[in-house]
Amino acid sequence: MTSESTLFSNRWLPILLVAPFMLLIVLFFYVPIFQAFYWSFFLEQPFGGGSMFVGLDNFARVLSDREFWQAGWRTIIFMVTASSLAVLIPLILAVAADRKVRLSLPARNVLVWPKGVAGASIGVVFAFVFNPFVGILAPLNKAFPGIWAPGIDGTDAFITLIAAHVWGGIPFNFVILLAGLQSIPRTMHQAAAMDGAGPWRRIFDVQLPLIMPQLFLTLVLEFTESVTSAFALIDTITHGGPGGATTLLVYKIYKDGFSGYDLSGASTQTAILMIFVILLTAAQFVFLGRRINYER
Amino acid sequence: MIENARSLNIAASLILLIGMLYILGPLYLTLATATQSYEFLLRNGLAWYPGDQFLNNVARIFTETRIPIQMLNSLAVAFSLAIATCVLSFLSAYAIVYFRIRWAGIAFALILATIMLPVDIRVITTYQVASNVFSPVNALLDVTGLNGLIAEAFGAPVQLELSVLNTHFGLIAPLVAHGTGTFLFRQFFLTLPKDLFKAARMDGAGPVRFMFDILLPLSRTSFAALFVLTFLSGWTQYLWPLVASSTPDMQTALVGLARLLPDSDGEVPDFPMIMAGAVIVSLVPLLMIALLQRYLVQGLVLSEK
Repeated sequence: MTSESTLFSNRWLPILLVAPFMLLIVLFFYVPIFQAFYWSFFLEQPFGGGSMFVGLDNFARVLSDREFWQAGWRTIIFMVTASSLAVLIPLILAVAADRKVRLSLPARNVLVWPKGVAGASIGVVFAFVFNPFVGILAPLNKAFPGIWAPGIDGTDAFITLIAAHVWGGIPFNFVILLAGLQSIPRTMHQAAAMDGAGPWRRIFDVQLPLIMPQLFLTLVLEFTESVTSAFALIDTITHGGPGGATTLLVYKIYKDGFSGYDLSGASTQTAILMIFVILLTAAQFVFLGRRINYER
Repeated sequence: MIENARSLNIAASLILLIGMLYILGPLYLTLATATQSYEFLLRNGLAWYPGDQFLNNVARIFTETRIPIQMLNSLAVAFSLAIATCVLSFLSAYAIVYFRIRWAGIAFALILATIMLPVDIRVITTYQVASNVFSPVNALLDVTGLNGLIAEAFGAPVQLELSVLNTHFGLIAPLVAHGTGTFLFRQFFLTLPKDLFKAARMDGAGPVRFMFDILLPLSRTSFAALFVLTFLSGWTQYLWPLVASSTPDMQTALVGLARLLPDSDGEVPDFPMIMAGAVIVSLVPLLMIALLQRYLVQGLVLSEK
C-alpha cells in the first residue's frame, strides 16, 4: 500500500459497508422481481396450497383477457396525457418564474407546497373539490343536470384523476426545470439579444434547447411515476370506477392479487408491467437521450 | 433584464397568478371546509369562506378516529426510513467510490436499478416475501437439494418462517431498498477533489478515520437534503403501508385518512371532518417544507444529476 494510491485497498471493509444495504435490496427488490417472473409460469394457490408448472398458460390467460388490454390501454392514455401535462405546465410556469417579475418569488415558494401533500391526501381533497353534489362544479350541475358526473361518466372521472396528478407533479418538475433555466449563462441571452432575437423568440431558440437535459429527465421520471403514483389517486377518488373506466394496470394488479387472490394472474401482469416499464425507459434513452446535447 | 419586455412580463405574471391559484385553490377549499360543520356543507355546498367549527372538527378527528396513533406510526416510518436510507446509502456509496474493488460497478448498477421499478409495481410479490422473509432461504435449500439431505439426517426439512407484515420493520424495510441516496452520495463524492484523499492518506488516516473525520463533515448538506427528501417520501407512501399493515393501529395516517372516505358514491361524506383530517395529516410535511425548503430544493436538484 503506497500513500500515492487514490483508493483504499482493504478487502473486507467495503464488503461489510455494502452488505447491509445489499441484503435489503436483494431481499425486497430482486427476490420479489424474480418471484413475479417465476410465479408467472406456475399456477399458484392462495394461502400456500402448492403450485403447478403451467408454462405459458398464465400469459395466454392474461393476454386473452379483455379487461387486461383495457387496463393497459387506459394506463397508456393516462401516461401520455397526464405526464405530458405534468411536464408542460411546470415548464410554462418555470419560464415565467425565471423572469424577474414581482410574482416570481412568491410563486417559487408556493409552487413547491404540493410536495408536502401526499398522493392520497391529494386524492381525498380532489374527491371533495370535484364532488358532483357539493364540489366546485356543483353549481354547474344544478344549471345543467348531469353535465359533471364523475361517478357515472368515465371521462369525467379520468379528468379528475389527471387534474389531481398534475397538481401533485408540479413541485418536482418545476424545481428541476427552473434550476435548468437559471443555470443558463446571462451571456447567452445577451448574445441572442445582440443578434436581434426578442424575448419571446429567445424562449424557443435559447432557453428550451438549453434545458433539454432537464426536460428529458422530467419526462422520463414522469412516465414511470405516472404508471405507479396513480394508485393512491385511484384508490381515494374513483376506486377504479365507474364501470372500470379508471382501472389502470397498477390498480387491477392490486385488486386481482389482494381481493381476488389470483396470485398467478397478478404476478403475470406484474411481470408484463415490469417489462413494459423497463422497455419504455430504455426506449426513451435510445431515442431521446442520444439527441440531447449536454454540452453548454 | 436585458431589455424591457413588457408583453412577456405581463404574460409571465398572469401565468404565475393562474399557477398559484391552481395550487392554492384546493388548499384553500380544504381549509375553509375544515372550519365548517357538516350541516353547513349539506345546506350550502362548497364553503367559500371559513367558519368557526375548525376546533370542533379537529377534536372529532382526535376522538372518533385512529389518526392520532396513526400519526405516530407515520412519524416512526418516515423518520426511520430517512435515517436508514441516509446511513446505508452513505456507507455503500463510500465503499463504491473510495475502495479499489472490482465489483464496484456491478454493485452500483444493482443498486441503481432499484430506481426503475418502485415498490408499487412489485407490491404483490414483495408482500409475499415480507410474509416470510426466510422464503428465499427455504427455496435455496430446496433447490440445492440441501433440504433433502437435512430431512434424511434430522427427519424433517428446514422451513424457516418469519413474517414482518404488520410490524414497523416490515413497513420500512422494502422502502429503504431504493437507490436514490446511494446515487446522490456517489455524485457528491465524485465532485470532491482527489487531493483531499491523498492529503488524508499522507497524514496517516485509515478508511474509518477518513470517513468519520473528513467525509462525514463535508457531506452534511447532502445528508440534510436526502433526509428531507426521504422523510417526505416516507410520509407520503400509500400502497405499501396499505397492504403491509392489517390492523388500524399499525396503519399510517395517510391510510387512515383515506379510510375515512366511504366506498359508495351515493351519500355526501362528512367532508368537514375528513378535510380537518387532511389538514392534520399534511401539517408535518408542509411544516418541514416551509422550514427546510433550501434543503428540499437542493435535494431535488442533486438527485437529478
